[in-house]
Amino acid sequence: MVALVFRNLLKHPIRSLLTIGSLTIAIFLLCFLRSVVTTLEAGIASADSRRLWVQSAVSLFVDLPTAYQAKIDAVPGVERTCKWQWFGGYYKEPSNFFAQFAVDPDELITIWPEVEVVAGSKEAFANQRNSCMVGEELAQEFGWKVGDQVPIIGALFPRPDGSAYMFDVAAIYRPTRATVDSRTFFFHWKFHAESQEAITGSAPNVGVFVIKVAQDADPTSVMATVDGLFENGPQVVQTTTEAEFNRQFVSMVGNVPKLLSFIGGGVFIAILLACVNTMLMAGREQVRDVGIMKALGFTDGSTFGLLIGQSLALCGLGGGFGILIALGAQVPIATLLGRFFPGFRILPETIFLAIGVTIAVGLLAGIVPGRSASRMRAVDALRRQ
Amino acid sequence: MLVPVSYNLRSLWVRRSSTLLTIIGIGATVAVLAGVLSLQQGFATLFAESGRTDVAIFLRPGATNEGDSAFRKDKAQRLIKTLPEIRSDENEQPLAGMECYVAVRRNRVGGGETNVPVRGVEQRSFDIYGDGIRIVGGRRFKPGADEVIVGAKLSDRIEDCRLGDVIVLNTAPLRVVGIFESDGPFASEIWGDLDRMLNALQRPSPNRVVAQLNDGVDVEELNERVKDDKEVPAKVMTEREYLTSQTSALSGTLLFLGAFLAIVMGTAAVFTATNTMLAAISSRTHEIGILLAAGFRPIPIFLSFLMEALLLGLLGGLVGCLLSLPLNGIETGATNFNTFTEVAFAFRVTPVVLMTAVTFSLVLGLFGGAIPAWRAARMVPVDALRRR
Amino acid sequence: MSDAMIQVRAVTKSYQRGGETLRVLDGLDLDMEEGHFYALMGPSGSGKTTLLNMVGGLDRPDSGDVFVAGEHLSELRGADLSNWRADNVGFVFQGFNLLTVLSAQKNVELPLTLAPLSRAQRREQAAFALELVGMADRASHRPGQLSGGQEQRVAIARAIATDPKVILADEPTGDLDRASADQILQLLQRLNQEFKKTILMVTHDPAAAEYAQRIVHLDKGRLERLEEKGAP
Repeated sequence: MVALVFRNLLKHPIRSLLTIGSLTIAIFLLCFLRSVVTTLEAGIASADSRRLWVQSAVSLFVDLPTAYQAKIDAVPGVERTCKWQWFGGYYKEPSNFFAQFAVDPDELITIWPEVEVVAGSKEAFANQRNSCMVGEELAQEFGWKVGDQVPIIGALFPRPDGSAYMFDVAAIYRPTRATVDSRTFFFHWKFHAESQEAITGSAPNVGVFVIKVAQDADPTSVMATVDGLFENGPQVVQTTTEAEFNRQFVSMVGNVPKLLSFIGGGVFIAILLACVNTMLMAGREQVRDVGIMKALGFTDGSTFGLLIGQSLALCGLGGGFGILIALGAQVPIATLLGRFFPGFRILPETIFLAIGVTIAVGLLAGIVPGRSASRMRAVDALRRQ
Repeated sequence: MLVPVSYNLRSLWVRRSSTLLTIIGIGATVAVLAGVLSLQQGFATLFAESGRTDVAIFLRPGATNEGDSAFRKDKAQRLIKTLPEIRSDENEQPLAGMECYVAVRRNRVGGGETNVPVRGVEQRSFDIYGDGIRIVGGRRFKPGADEVIVGAKLSDRIEDCRLGDVIVLNTAPLRVVGIFESDGPFASEIWGDLDRMLNALQRPSPNRVVAQLNDGVDVEELNERVKDDKEVPAKVMTEREYLTSQTSALSGTLLFLGAFLAIVMGTAAVFTATNTMLAAISSRTHEIGILLAAGFRPIPIFLSFLMEALLLGLLGGLVGCLLSLPLNGIETGATNFNTFTEVAFAFRVTPVVLMTAVTFSLVLGLFGGAIPAWRAARMVPVDALRRR
Repeated sequence: MSDAMIQVRAVTKSYQRGGETLRVLDGLDLDMEEGHFYALMGPSGSGKTTLLNMVGGLDRPDSGDVFVAGEHLSELRGADLSNWRADNVGFVFQGFNLLTVLSAQKNVELPLTLAPLSRAQRREQAAFALELVGMADRASHRPGQLSGGQEQRVAIARAIATDPKVILADEPTGDLDRASADQILQLLQRLNQEFKKTILMVTHDPAAAEYAQRIVHLDKGRLERLEEKGAP
C-alpha cells in the first residue's frame, strides 16, 4: 500500500513537484517568520531578573541628569549602577550600523558577568580612557584586533568638523547568554562626557541607568523607591525589569505577532488551495483504481487511507524539505540579519509547529478525495471506462 | 486561424472546481498584495499630500528628522529676523516660528504603551499653517498656560486625550482645552505652548524653525546658501519634502513586505495554475489533436491556452480587487519607523494599487500557463488523436 | 436448500436510467455447482453482468437472496463484505483493470496484501500464479509495456493468486484479438479442468461459450434455459 501511495505520486512527476515546491516555500517561510518572533521574545525571556533599567518616564528620547546616579546608588538594595548611553554613530559608512554605548567600564564588567573576554583584557579596557570593548562578531566583520585603532563617526553627537572619534580596541568579548549580543561596541562614559563638553560647553546627560540589585533585596521595592526619588523632577523616571525594558522595543515595532499571523494565514491559504487542487485532480484520476481495489476486496476505509496517504506523503515531502532548508539557512540568515536583529535561531518548538502545519494541510487536502473514494461504489467506478 | 475564446471559457467551466481553486488562490494573493499596498498608500499619502510647498522647515545641519535636531533660541531668532525669503504678514512681521518636538510615552486606550509626538509651538505656527490646523472642539491654548490641544485622531486611541482631561508630562499637569483636526500627521499629535513645553520636558532648546516663504523661492538654492552659514547654519526643505522623507522607513518596509508576500503566495498560486492547466491540457489531448488535424497551427494553439491562463489570472485579479475594496477608508495606525511615533491613517485603495494588483494577477496567469501552453502547442496530432 | 455452491433465489434488480426504471433481473432463480465452468449469455440488458457482480458481492439485489459458499451475501456489510470478497472471489474484467503504476508482479501481489501473509510468502504465491499463466518472464513489466493478451493473463494471475472459491470473468476476451482470446479461454479452461476452479464467465460470443461446460441463458432478467455441454 505504501508503495502504491508513492507510485501514484510519481505518475505525475511535474504536478507532484510543483505541489511539493509550494509547500517547501511556505513551510520555510513559516519557520523563518516564527523564528523572527521567537528571537524577539528570547531577548525578553532570558532577561536577568536582578537587573533594573532606569529611564525617563516621559520619553525614550529624553535623557536623565548625571547627578541621579549618586542618589540611586544610595537606595538600599542597589548594589551597583552603570551609566548606559546610546551613542548612535557608525564606522566609516552609515551602512555599517551597530550599537555603541558609553558606559562605566568597571560597572559594566561587574554587572554583566555574561560578557566573556576572549581577546585582550577587562583590565586594559577599564584602565584606558579612550579604549573600547567590542563584540566578537563585530571584530570579525570589520577585521578588528586588540590594539587596532577604530574611528567612529558620531551621527547623534557629531564633531563640528565631522571627523571621527578614535578608540583603541582593548578587548573583544563573547556573550554567554542571549541578554547581550555579539555586535555591540562599549566605550568609556568619561570619554563621551569630556568630548561632548569640549564641543557644546556642557556635560551630557545619561540615557539610562542600569541597576544591579543586591542578592537579598526585592527588585520590586527597589523599583518603587527609585521612581519615588524623582517624582518631583526635574525628570520623572520609570524603573523597569530588564524583561520589560526589552519588551518595549519589541512592541514599538508594532504588533509584530499579529502582522506575522496575518502573513502566515495568507500563505497557509495559498498552499492549502494548491494541495487541495492537486489532490482533487488525483482523486478524479484514480476513480478506476479505487474501483479495482474495492473489487479485489480492499475496504472503503483502506481507499480513504490511500488518498489521505498520498496527500500526507506529498505534504510531508514538501514540509520536510522546507524544514531542512530553513535549518540549513539558519546560519547565513542570522549573519545577514545580524545587524538589526541579532541572535536569530530556529527553536525546536518552531519545527514542531511546522510539522503540525504540514500534517494539517495534508489531512485537509486529502479529506474530500478520500471520502469520495471511500463512498464510491466499485460497480460505478469500474463502469466509467 | 485563431481558436475562439468561447472554447477557453467553456473548458474553464467544465473543470469548474480546479478553475475555482486557481482563481481563489490568485485572488487571495492579489487581495493580500492589494491590502499591504493600500496600507502603504494610506500612510504615504497622509504625509505627502498634506505637506505644503510654501512652508519651509529649518533643521540643524546633518539632522534627518526634527527629533535629532536642535536650534538654539537666539540663533533661531536671528534666522527668523534676517532671512529675506521668509514672508511677512500685514504687520511686517515674519511668518516664522520655533517649535520643539518630543515623542512621549502614552498609554493606549485598551492597553499597551506607545509614543505620541508632543509639539511645543508659538502662536505664530497657527498663522503659518492656517487652515491646516482647525480647532473643532474647545479652543486654542493660551500662551504660557498649562494647557494643550490634542489632534482629533488621538482622542479615542490614547488615554487622557479627551476635552477636559489632564495629561501629565514629566511633572507638569496640562489640561486638554481643545481638539483640532488636520489633514496630515499633525492630527496624531499633542500641541502646547513652546516655552511651557520646553520647561515641562526640560528641553534646552527648540528643535526646528518653520516659516512661510515668499512666492518663487528656490528652496534648494536657499539650502545651499544657509547650510554653511557661519552664524546660523541650517538645513532647509519644504514641509512636503520633509514629510515625505519621514515616510521612507515604514513605506519601504511595507513595500518590501508586500513584494515578499506577493512572491511567496504568488508562487503557490502559479503552481496551482500550472497544475490546473496541465490537467486541462492532458484531458483535452484528443481535442487538441482534432484542432491540429483540422488545420490550426501550433502558435494559435499556444496563444489559445495562454489566453486561458491569462483569463484565469484576470478573474483571480478581479476577485482579489473586490476582496480588497472594502478596506478603503478603514482607519488604522502604524509605528512610523523614522520617528518611532504612532500615526493614525486610513487604508487607501488607489487606482495605482488596483492596477498593480491586476497586472500582477495577469503575470501570475502568464507564468502559470506558459509551460502547459507550450506543451499543448508541441503536440503531434497523430499521437494526440490516438489517446482515447 | 440445495448444496450448490452458488444459489440465487428470487433475485430482482432495477436501475434508473434517464428517468426510466429498467428491470434488469426479474425474480431469477439459479443454482451453480462447484468445480464447473459456467458461461452466462443473453442479449444486452439481460442482467448477466449484474448477476456476476452480485455473486461477487459488488452489487446487491433489490429483493431475493444470494448465497455463495454457504455465505448469505445480503447479510454481509462494509468491511465484512470486503474481507469476504478478498478471500473468496477473483475478478477478471474486460478492460483488464490492472493498476498502471505497478509492475505485473506487484499487481498480482496486491490482493495478497489483504491476507495475513509475510512478504516472502506473498512474493512466492504471486510468482507461482504468474508462472501458471505463463507470464513469469515479464513479472517486472508495467501494464503499459504489455500487450492486451499479456495484460489479461496477468489479470488472471491476480484473480487466482489468493486461491479464491470462484473466479468471476466479465467479457474477458472482449478487448482481445482472436489469437489472444483463444489463449485466455484455454487458460480458463485449464484452470477449471486441472485445478477444479469454479468459473463464471459473462460473454456474448458463442465461440467463447464453447469453452465452458454449462451455459446459462438469461432473457429479460430471468433464466431462459441451462445448457449442459459435457461432464467436468
